[in-house]
Amino acid sequence: MGLQAGIIRFSVDHPRLVVALTLAAAAGCAALGVTTGARSGWEIVDTDPENMLAPTEEVRRFHDGTKEEFSLHDMIVVGVVNEEDPDGVFNPATLSRVLRLTEFAKGLDGVIPGDVIAPSEVDNIEQAGPGVLRFERLMAEPPADREGAREVRRKARNHPMLDGTLLSEDGKALCLYVPIREKRFSHRVAGLLRAEAARLGMREMDGRRTDGDAFGITGLPVAEDTFGVEMFRQMAVSAPLAMAVILLLMLLFFRKFVLVLSPMIVAALAVVCTMGLLVGLGHTVHIMSSMIPIFLMPISVVDSVHILSGFFERYRRIGDPRAAVISAMEELFTPMLYTSLTTFAGFASLALTPIPPVQTYGVFVGAGVMIAWALTVTFIPAYTTFIPKRRLDAFGAGAGEGAGIMAAPLAALGRFAVGRSRMIIAATVAVIAVSAWGISRIRVNDNPTKWFVPSHPIRVADRVLNEHFAGTYMAYLVLDPASPAAPDPDGLAARLAPAAAPLGAAAGELGALIRERAASARTEAELVAAVDDWCADRAAEAPDEEAPRWEALLGLLSEERARADLFKRPEVLRYMEGLERAVAWDRLVGKSNSAATLVAHVHRELRSGTAADFRIPDTARMVAECYIQAQSGHDPEDLWKLVTPGYGRANVWMQLRSGDNRDMEAVARAVERHMAGAPPPLPLISRWAGLTWVNVVWQDRMVSGMLGSLLGSFLVVFLMMAFLFRSFLWGILCMVPLSVTITFIYALIGISGKDYDMPVAVLSSLTLGLSVDFAIHYLQRARECVARTGEWRAAAMEMAGEPARAISRNVIVIAVGFTPLLLAPLVPYRTVGFFMAAIMVVSGAGTLVILPALMTALRRRLFAPRAPAAACSCAACLAVGLAATAGTAFVLHQYRLTGWGGTTLAAGGLVVGAMLACNRLARRRACLEELGKPEGGSK
Amino acid sequence: MMRTAAAALCILAASAAGARGEEKAPTAEEIVNRANLVAYYAGADGRAQVEMTITDGRGRTRERRMTILRRNVAEGGDQKFYVHFQRPADVRGMAYLVWKHVGRDDDRWLYQPALDLVKRIAAGDKRTSFVGSDFLYEDVSGRGPEEDVHELLRTEGEAYVIRSTPREPRGVEFARYDVWIDRATFMPMRAEYFDRAGKKYRVVEALEVREIGGHPTVVRSKANNLESGGHTVSVFSDVAYGVGLPDDIFTERYLRRAPTKWLK
Repeated sequence: MGLQAGIIRFSVDHPRLVVALTLAAAAGCAALGVTTGARSGWEIVDTDPENMLAPTEEVRRFHDGTKEEFSLHDMIVVGVVNEEDPDGVFNPATLSRVLRLTEFAKGLDGVIPGDVIAPSEVDNIEQAGPGVLRFERLMAEPPADREGAREVRRKARNHPMLDGTLLSEDGKALCLYVPIREKRFSHRVAGLLRAEAARLGMREMDGRRTDGDAFGITGLPVAEDTFGVEMFRQMAVSAPLAMAVILLLMLLFFRKFVLVLSPMIVAALAVVCTMGLLVGLGHTVHIMSSMIPIFLMPISVVDSVHILSGFFERYRRIGDPRAAVISAMEELFTPMLYTSLTTFAGFASLALTPIPPVQTYGVFVGAGVMIAWALTVTFIPAYTTFIPKRRLDAFGAGAGEGAGIMAAPLAALGRFAVGRSRMIIAATVAVIAVSAWGISRIRVNDNPTKWFVPSHPIRVADRVLNEHFAGTYMAYLVLDPASPAAPDPDGLAARLAPAAAPLGAAAGELGALIRERAASARTEAELVAAVDDWCADRAAEAPDEEAPRWEALLGLLSEERARADLFKRPEVLRYMEGLERAVAWDRLVGKSNSAATLVAHVHRELRSGTAADFRIPDTARMVAECYIQAQSGHDPEDLWKLVTPGYGRANVWMQLRSGDNRDMEAVARAVERHMAGAPPPLPLISRWAGLTWVNVVWQDRMVSGMLGSLLGSFLVVFLMMAFLFRSFLWGILCMVPLSVTITFIYALIGISGKDYDMPVAVLSSLTLGLSVDFAIHYLQRARECVARTGEWRAAAMEMAGEPARAISRNVIVIAVGFTPLLLAPLVPYRTVGFFMAAIMVVSGAGTLVILPALMTALRRRLFAPRAPAAACSCAACLAVGLAATAGTAFVLHQYRLTGWGGTTLAAGGLVVGAMLACNRLARRRACLEELGKPEGGSK
Repeated sequence: MMRTAAAALCILAASAAGARGEEKAPTAEEIVNRANLVAYYAGADGRAQVEMTITDGRGRTRERRMTILRRNVAEGGDQKFYVHFQRPADVRGMAYLVWKHVGRDDDRWLYQPALDLVKRIAAGDKRTSFVGSDFLYEDVSGRGPEEDVHELLRTEGEAYVIRSTPREPRGVEFARYDVWIDRATFMPMRAEYFDRAGKKYRVVEALEVREIGGHPTVVRSKANNLESGGHTVSVFSDVAYGVGLPDDIFTERYLRRAPTKWLK
C-alpha cells in the first residue's frame, strides 16, 4: 500500500509536474506516430479483411496462387437495369451508354483493360448459316436499331458463359465486370464509374424507382474497400459524438464542467497515446484497430467516473477537496488497479488468437487500458487540485439532487436483493438455463456486404443484381489430379496394336520402343510423347504408299496425346458437368462456368448449333479441337482462366447469389458430398479460392480464436480474482455477473437470430473486460464495508448507497453515450452501440442484484472470521492449478504446436503431481493451525 | 513466270527510283505496296515449315507446328494459303484454307479431323488470334495496303517509317500502326500498334531475315502482346519458292485428304 499512497500523495502534491509529464508523454506518443506515419507516406491504413489472415496462411497462398495461375482478378460488378423499356437494357440508347461506360472503365488507372467483361469485350462464336462458323465480338459497336439490340441479346443468351453472367436471364439487365489490379483500388474506381454513369444519364438504383437506366455497383472487393473508407469516416464522426454525449451525461450527474472535463481529457490522452504508439511502432490501422478509440473511451471514462463519484459524495461530507480526493483514491485504488488489470487481461488474451489484426488490436487496447489507468490515478487527482475551491462550493449543494434521484430506487433494489435472495438466485439459474439454450441457437455467419445498412447503394445493388443475375459473389473451385498418371506400357501397346500391326517390322520396333521408354518415363504423358515423336519422325520418312498406315497410327496417338492432358478427357469433363449440376441444386449457386461449359458450347457451334450438340464430345481429340477453336477469337488467353495451358488443372468459376459465409459453406459441403457420393473417374483433389471462400476461413478462425481467447481470459481473470480476494469462493463470486452477462448477451444473439459475425466476435473480449469491473468494485468495497460494519446486511444497505450510484452512473453514461452509434450507416457500429448498452445494463444489474443476493445466501462462508489462505484449501489450490494447466494447454492447442498428444499426457501427469503437492501444502502445520483443526491424523 | 514478272517489276521500280535521283524518296504508297509484295508475294508460290512458340504473360509456353503452302493467283492480288498442323499432336491434321481476295472478303475454311468437320468461316473479323498465338489471321495472310491510309513519317537509319491509319476504323482494334520498312530490301521489319487512347499495345517484329532463293525471307519473327506480356516467336524452316504447287490442292476436297506430297 506504500506505493499506492505514494502515487496519490505525489499527484496531489505535485499537480503541475504530473500534468506536464502527462502532456509530454501524450505529445511524445503522438509525435512518434506522426513521424512514423509520415515516413511511410501515410500508408498506415489497411482495410482489407483478407489481412485477418497472415499472408503466409495456406488459404491465402492458395487463393493468391490461383488468382495468379488462372489470371483471375478481384472484380467490381457494375449492373445496368432498365425496367421501363420493353427490351430492358437491350435498346440502342442504353447499349451505347454501356459501351461508353466500358470504354471509360478500360481507361481507368488500376483497371485491367484486357479482362473487362462487357458486351463489347467478349467474343461470340456461333453458326452463321449451314456449315458456316462465325467468330466475332458480341457487340463491336452500338446497334443502330432495336432489331440490332435484340440481336445482341439473342446472341448473349445463346452463349452459356454469358447468359446469367453478362446479361440477366430475363434479358432486362446487363452486368459489367471490371477487374482491378488490387482490391484497394476498388473504392476509387467505383467512385469514378459512378460519376461517369451519372454523366451518361443513368441513375443509381435505389430499389424503388423503375424509370430509365439505373446502375448499381457492388461485389465483395468494393464492399470491403468501401467499408474500410466509410469506417474511418464513421470513426471520425462517432467517436467525438459519443464523447460529447458522455460529457453531457456527466455534466448532468456532476454539474461541474471543469470537473467532468477531466475524464474526457483522460480518455482523449489515452486514445492519443495508444494510437500514437500503434502507428509509431509500425503497425497498420486495420478495421479492428480503428475501433480502438471507441472501445478505449468508455473503459477510460469508467474509472474516472468512480473517482468523481467518490469525490462528489465525499466532498459533501468532508468539505476539503484535497482530503476528499485522497480519501476517494485510497478506497478506489485497489479496485481500479484490478479492474484495469482484468480488462487488460481480457484484451491482451486476444494476442493469443492466430489472427494478426486481432492480436494488434488486443495488445494495444490492453496497453491503452493501462495507460488510461495510469492517467486516471495520477492526472485526475492532480487535476482536481487545480479547481478553485469557490468553484466547487456549489458542487455539494447541487449534488444532493443527482444522488437523490437514484438513491431511493437503488436502496429499494438493495433491500430487494437481500430480502429475496433465494428467488433471485432461482431466477438467475433460470436465466442461465434459457441462455444456454439461446447460445445453442447461435448462427455463425458473416458477409462484408451486409456490414452496410440495407439502404446503402452497395446493398441495394447487391439485392437487385443478385435477383437478376446468377450472382455477384465469386468462388473458384480448383480441381487437381491427386497424382499424375503412371506409365502403362502394356495398355498403350494394346490400344495402338490395331494400327501398328499392318506396319510389319515397324510394329515390332514400336513394341520395343514402348517398353524401353516406359522404363525411363515418369508419367504416362512422357511415355506417350516419346512414342508419338518417334512415330511422327518415322511417318515423315515413310514412302508414300505406307503413309495412310502411319496416318492411322498417328491418329490413335493423337488421341493418346490428348488423353495425357487430364482435362481433355471427356469423362473428366463430364464429371465436372455433373459436379456443377449437383452444386446448382438450389438458387445459391446461380451458375458456374468451367472448361466443360466452354467445350460443350464450342462443340455445339462447331456442329449444328442446336441444343442436342451442347455436350462434351466423345474423344479427347475432339475436345482438343474444341479447345483450339476456343482460342481462335480476340482473347485467346481467356481459356486459361478455366484450365491451365497444360490442361492439368481446372478452375470452376462459381457465381453465388449470396456472400453469406454459411451459404458458401453449404456450397462447399455440397461439393464434398457429391465428390464423396460419386467418385471422379480418377482421383481429383478439390480446393477453394476466391474472396467468398477466404472470408469463410477467416471467420472460422475468428470464431474459434475469439472463443479460445474468451475462455483463456476467463481463466486468467478468475485466477486474478482468486488472488485479489485471496479466496477461491470470492473469485467465483466475482465471475458470476460477467458470466451471466456473457451468456445472456450471446443468448440474445442466438434467440434474436442475429448472425454471430466479426463485430460480435470482437465484442466478447470487451464484454469480459467491462463487466468484471463492476463486480470487482462491488466486492472489494463490500468487503471493506463488512470489515467496518461487521455485518453483511448493514453493509449491503451501505453498498446500495454511493457504490451502487457510482455503478449506475457508469451504466447510464456508457450505455447512453454510445447510442449515437445506433445511427451509423454501418451495421458493425450499430452492433457495437447496442451491445455496449446491453453489456452495461446486464452487468450492472447482475452486480447490483445477483451479487447481494448470492452474498446474502453465502454470507456465513464469505465472511468467516478468518478466511483461510488459498494455499491451505486443497480444493482451491487444486482448482487454481487445474485452471492454469487448462489455460496453458488451451493456448498451446490454439497454436497447434501440439495436438492432444504426448505433451498433453505429460501435462496431465503434472496436474496429478500438482494435486499431490496441493494436498501436501494443505496439510502443512500452519494451515492446520489456521483451520483450527487438531494436529495429527495422517502425516 | 510469276516470279520473273515480280523480278521485272522490282527492277523497274528500282530503275524508276534511280532515274528520279537519289534524293527523291518514294511515296508512302509506293513503299507500302513494295513491302507488301516483298513480305507476302515472293515467288509464284512458296512453302515453309513454321514452329511457333507461344509464351503467355506468366512464362508458360505452348508449341504449334505447321506447314504453310501459298500460291499467288495474281501478283500483288489474290492468293491461296493452305495451313496444315502437325503439333500439338492432338490436333494433328487440322487444316486451314484461305482464299485471299483483294477488295473483298476472303474465303476461309477450317478442317478438324477428329470432329470430321469442314466449316466455312464467316467473312468478317480477321483480327482474331491465329490458333491461340499472338499472331492474327491477318498477320499470316497479310493486310491489304488499300485498307489503310499511309503516311511516310520519316526515314530512320536504314528504314522508312510509315504510319498507317485504317480507312474504316470499325472492325479493327487499332487506331493506327507504325511500320519500319527496310530501305534496301523493303521488308517490313517492325510494326507497332496503337489503341484509341494512343497507347502502344502490340509489336510485331522480324527477328531474322535471310536471303532464300533470291528473296529476302523472314525466318524468325515475333509478336508481342504488351498488355498481357505474352509473345509468340515463329521460326520458318525449309522455306522454298517456286515449288510448283498445283492449284487443285487449295480446295475444300484436299482439306480432308491432306496433300501429303507437298507437305513434306
